[in-house]
Amino acid sequence: MTTISKIRYSRRSMLKAGGAAVAAAALPAPMVWGQETKNITLRQFGTGVSNLNEVATKVKEDLGFTLEMTALDSDSVTQRAATQPDSFDIADIEYWICKKVWPTGNLQAMDTSKIANYDKIVGTFRSGKLTPESVIAQGTAPHTVGFTSGQNGKDFVQEESGWMTLIPTIYNADTLGIRPDLIGRPINNWSELLNPEFKGKASILDISSIGIMDMAMVVESMGEYKYPDKGNMTKEEIDLTLGIFTEAKKAGQFRAFWKSFDESVNLMASGEVVIQSMWSPAITAVRSQGIPCVYQPLEEGYRSWGGGIGLSASLSGMELDAAYEYINWYLSGWVGGFLMRQGYYSAVPETSKNFMSEDEWGFWFEGKPAQGDITNPFGKVMEKAGAVRDGGSFYDRMGAVACWNAVMDENQYMVRKWNEFIAA
Amino acid sequence: MEPRPRSFYILSVFFMLFLIFLYGPTLTIAVLSFQGPGGGLTFPMRGVSLHWFRDLFEQQAVGDIWGSFSRSFVLGLMVMVTTVVVSVMGGLAFRRRFAGSTALFYLIITSLVIPSILISLGVGLIWSQSGLPVHWSTSGFGAQLTWTLPFGLLIMFAVFNRFDPSYEEAARDLGASPWQVIRHVVLPIIAPSLIGVALFGFTLSYDEFARTLLTSGSYNTLPLEIFGMTTNVTTPVLFALGTLTTAFSLVIIGVFLLIVWATNRRRARLGSDAGQGMV
Amino acid sequence: MRKTSITGWLLASPLSLILLVFLAAPIAMIVVVSFWGATEWAIYPAFEFENYEFLLTSSVTYRVFLNTFKYVAITWACTLVIGFTVAYYLAFHIRTLTWQIVLFLLCTIPFLTSNIIRMISWIPFLGRNGLANSALISWGVIDEPVEWLLFSDFSVILAFVHLYTLFMVVPIFNTMMRIDKSLIEAAADAGASGWQTLWQVIVPLTKPGIMIGTIFVLALVMGDFITVRFMSGSQSANVGRMIQNDIALLQYPSASATAVILLVTVLLLIGTLLRFVDIRKEL
Repeated sequence: MTTISKIRYSRRSMLKAGGAAVAAAALPAPMVWGQETKNITLRQFGTGVSNLNEVATKVKEDLGFTLEMTALDSDSVTQRAATQPDSFDIADIEYWICKKVWPTGNLQAMDTSKIANYDKIVGTFRSGKLTPESVIAQGTAPHTVGFTSGQNGKDFVQEESGWMTLIPTIYNADTLGIRPDLIGRPINNWSELLNPEFKGKASILDISSIGIMDMAMVVESMGEYKYPDKGNMTKEEIDLTLGIFTEAKKAGQFRAFWKSFDESVNLMASGEVVIQSMWSPAITAVRSQGIPCVYQPLEEGYRSWGGGIGLSASLSGMELDAAYEYINWYLSGWVGGFLMRQGYYSAVPETSKNFMSEDEWGFWFEGKPAQGDITNPFGKVMEKAGAVRDGGSFYDRMGAVACWNAVMDENQYMVRKWNEFIAA
Repeated sequence: MEPRPRSFYILSVFFMLFLIFLYGPTLTIAVLSFQGPGGGLTFPMRGVSLHWFRDLFEQQAVGDIWGSFSRSFVLGLMVMVTTVVVSVMGGLAFRRRFAGSTALFYLIITSLVIPSILISLGVGLIWSQSGLPVHWSTSGFGAQLTWTLPFGLLIMFAVFNRFDPSYEEAARDLGASPWQVIRHVVLPIIAPSLIGVALFGFTLSYDEFARTLLTSGSYNTLPLEIFGMTTNVTTPVLFALGTLTTAFSLVIIGVFLLIVWATNRRRARLGSDAGQGMV
Repeated sequence: MRKTSITGWLLASPLSLILLVFLAAPIAMIVVVSFWGATEWAIYPAFEFENYEFLLTSSVTYRVFLNTFKYVAITWACTLVIGFTVAYYLAFHIRTLTWQIVLFLLCTIPFLTSNIIRMISWIPFLGRNGLANSALISWGVIDEPVEWLLFSDFSVILAFVHLYTLFMVVPIFNTMMRIDKSLIEAAADAGASGWQTLWQVIVPLTKPGIMIGTIFVLALVMGDFITVRFMSGSQSANVGRMIQNDIALLQYPSASATAVILLVTVLLLIGTLLRFVDIRKEL
C-alpha cells in the first residue's frame, strides 16, 4: 500500500553539527545538560506503532529536548532508512527492515557499555534464547541481526560483540484474529485460514515480507510441506507457497486483502471477514468498538516481530549524546509501561513494571485474570474484570514463537511472485 | 413558455438519481461523523454526538492534521495564482502562431493525460539523483502545476476562441498601448473565466494526491496526511475531517461566488458593459 | 508580424519552462532510469534491457494490462451513457444559465471531500452489513447479503464511474451548447421525431465532445491505482498498482520500465483518438 515515499537527499549541513561540537567543546560538559538541551531536536521516524506523540511530549518533559516524530508504513520506512540517511536522526524500525538497511551504512552501531539497562534486556534479543531451554525460531531472529563488529561495521556478527545495530524496544507475537461470534467453534490451527468453510470471509495482509511468513505457517499447518527454514525459502518453496494461496484466491477464499492497519480493523469490525492475519492493536481496536474479537493462540505457534531504535550514521557530538540519553530513558520504563499497556512487550520488562499497576502487570505480562477493568493509556476500556489475555503469559506467548518476520536471500524473486499472486 | 415535453420529467428523475449517486459517499461520511465515542468506521451507528469534531482539534495519537492543512492551503494558493497568471499568458500567446506552438500544445495535452504516478516518479527521481531536497513548495508545487495548468489553459483557449477581437481593435484605434489594451479591455472581459480558472486551480491542488505522493518531501499535504492516517486511525475522526474539509471547500466556493456576484453588481452600477463580450 | 510572434513566444515562456522542467524532464528521466539496474536498496546507472525483458515476457504483465483495458472499456461505456444523458438534460432542458451553473455546482460539490475519505465510505455503504444490503434485504429483494457489491470488479467500476462521469459531462455539454439551435428546429420542421433528431442531428454534432470526454476518461482510468486497490480489496491489479508496488520496494528501474510501457500505450491510444477530432477548433 501506502508508499508515502519521499525521496529526498539533503546534504546535512556539517556546519550545524560542527558548530554544536565547538560549543560543546568550549563548555566542559560531558553530559548534555542545561540550555543546550532545549535547542536539540532529534528527528525520529518509524511505523505508527511506536511513533506516538505522547512519547515526544514526555521526552520534552523528562529530558528537555525536542523529538520530532513522523509515522509511515513499513515499506516507506524501509525506503527512507535506505535512501535518505540525512533526513533522520533516529530510526525506529523492525529487525527485518534492519537486515535490509544495515549494509547501506546509513546507521551507526551503539556502544552497549553506554547503555545502562543492557543486562536487563530480554534474552531473546541478546543470545536468542528467552530461557536457556528455548529453541531459536526460524526466520530473521533479532539476535542474528542485532550485533555488529564495530562502530561502523556493516556486517552482522553472531555473538554479543558490544556493538548493537538496534536497541530492542518493542515486540510481540502475532497470530490470526477471529470473530468468535461469527465462527462459533474453536480454532486451533493456522490451516483454518484456508478452510473452505470460511470461503469469502478470510483475509491476509498485502505486505510481502510479513504475508509470506503467515502463508508458510498455514502451509506447514496444512501438512502440505515442512520447511527447513521458513525464513529463508528457496525458489521452489516460494512457488509452492504462493501456488497454494493463488489457488485459494481463485476459488474465492479471500474477501479482500489489507495493507493498512485500519483496513484490517474495518474488515473485522464490519463482519466482512471472520478470520485474518492481524496485528495486536487492531484486535484491541475492534474490541474497543464492543465487537468480540480474539487473538487466537494456535498450536503451531506465533509469528513474531521485533522493533528497535537505530541511530543515523551522521549523528555526532551533542546530538549523539542526546540520542544515548534518549535510548537509556526509553529502556528505563515509562515508554515500556506505555507500550505494554497496549499489548506489546518491552525489551526490559523489569523497568516497565514500575510504571504499570499490579493488575495491569498481572494481566498483560503474567497472563492472570484481570482484577478490575483494564484500560489502555488513552483511557479506553480494553478488557473487563475477569478476562484473561489471549494466549496467556509472556512466557507462554514469546516462548511459543515459531518464526520471525524475515528477509530471505531470494527476496526479489519472492516479491515478484507476490505481485503475481495479487494480480491473479 | 413552451410546455415541457414528457422527456423533461424522465430526464429530471434521471438527473436526481445521478445526484444521489454522487452524494452517496459524502452523505455517508457526514452521517457517520456524528457518531458517539464508541463509534467505528462502519454502520451501525453508535451514538450521536459531536465528539469526533471536538476530537479533531486535539492532538492525535499519530498525525498532524492542522500542519498539513495549512500546508495544503498555502500550496493551493500558490498553485492558484501561478495557474491563473500562466494560463492567461499562455492563452494570449496561443492566439497566434509562434515558434513551437504546436509542440507546446501537444505537451500540454500530454501533461493532462499522463498518468499522475509517472509525474510523481519522474520528478522524484530527478530530485533525488541530483541531490536537491524534495519539498512540497518546490517539487510538489511543480508536480501539481502539471495537473492544473492544462485545465486552466484549456479554459483559456475556450475563452479566447469566442473572444471578439473587435473590442481590442477599437481600443487600439483609440490609441491604447498593448499593455493598456490588455489591462482595460481584455482582462475585464475575461474576468469571470479567470475566477473559474482560479477556483479550478485551487480545488485541484487542494485535493491532489497522486502527483504529490512522491514529491512532497518530509512534510505532508492534507491528502497525503489523510492517506497516512488511514494506516493508523480507525475512528470516525477521519470522517469528521472529511466533513469539515467539505464544509471548508464549500466556503471557498461561496467566497468565489460572492466575489463574482459583487463584481457583477459593481459593473452594473458603474454602467460598464464588460462581460457582454462573452457568449 | 515578427514582433507579434516574439511576444507570443515570450508570453508562452513561463508555461514552456514549467512544462519542460516538470513534464518533459521527468519523462526523460523515467526513460533513462528504466535501463538502470537495482539492488535491494539502491539503483545504479547501467544500460540493460533486463527490466523490459522481464516485463515483456511475463504473463502477469499482459494479464494486468488486459485487466486495465477491461476497466477502461466498461467505465467508458457507462460514463458515456450517463454523461451524455446528463449533459443533454443540462443543455437542452434547462432554460436559464443561472440554473445550469447551479446544477453544475451541485454536481461538483461532492468532489470537494477528499478522494480517500470518500473511498473509505463506500465500505459502510456496500458491505455485507452495509446500507445497500440492509436496504435490499428489508425490501425483500434478496435473502442474503449480496457479496459482489464490494471488493469486486463491480465496486471498482462503480467507483470509477462515480469519480469520472463529470469529466464526460463537461466536454459533451460544452459541445452541445454550441450546436446551432436552428438546426434542431429545422429537423423538427422537416418532421423528425424526438428520437430521430437525437440520433441523426445531435449525436453526430456532439462527436467532438464525446471524443474529448473519452480521452479524459481513458487517461484517468489507465493511470489510476488507488481506486483499484481500495475498491477491490487489493485483489485486483492494474498497471498503476504494479508501478506503485515496485516503487514501494525501491525497484525504480523496473517501475520506470512499466511506466514507459504505460505511457507509450496511453499516448498511442490518445493519439489515435485525436485524429478524429481537432481539439483547438472544438474548444
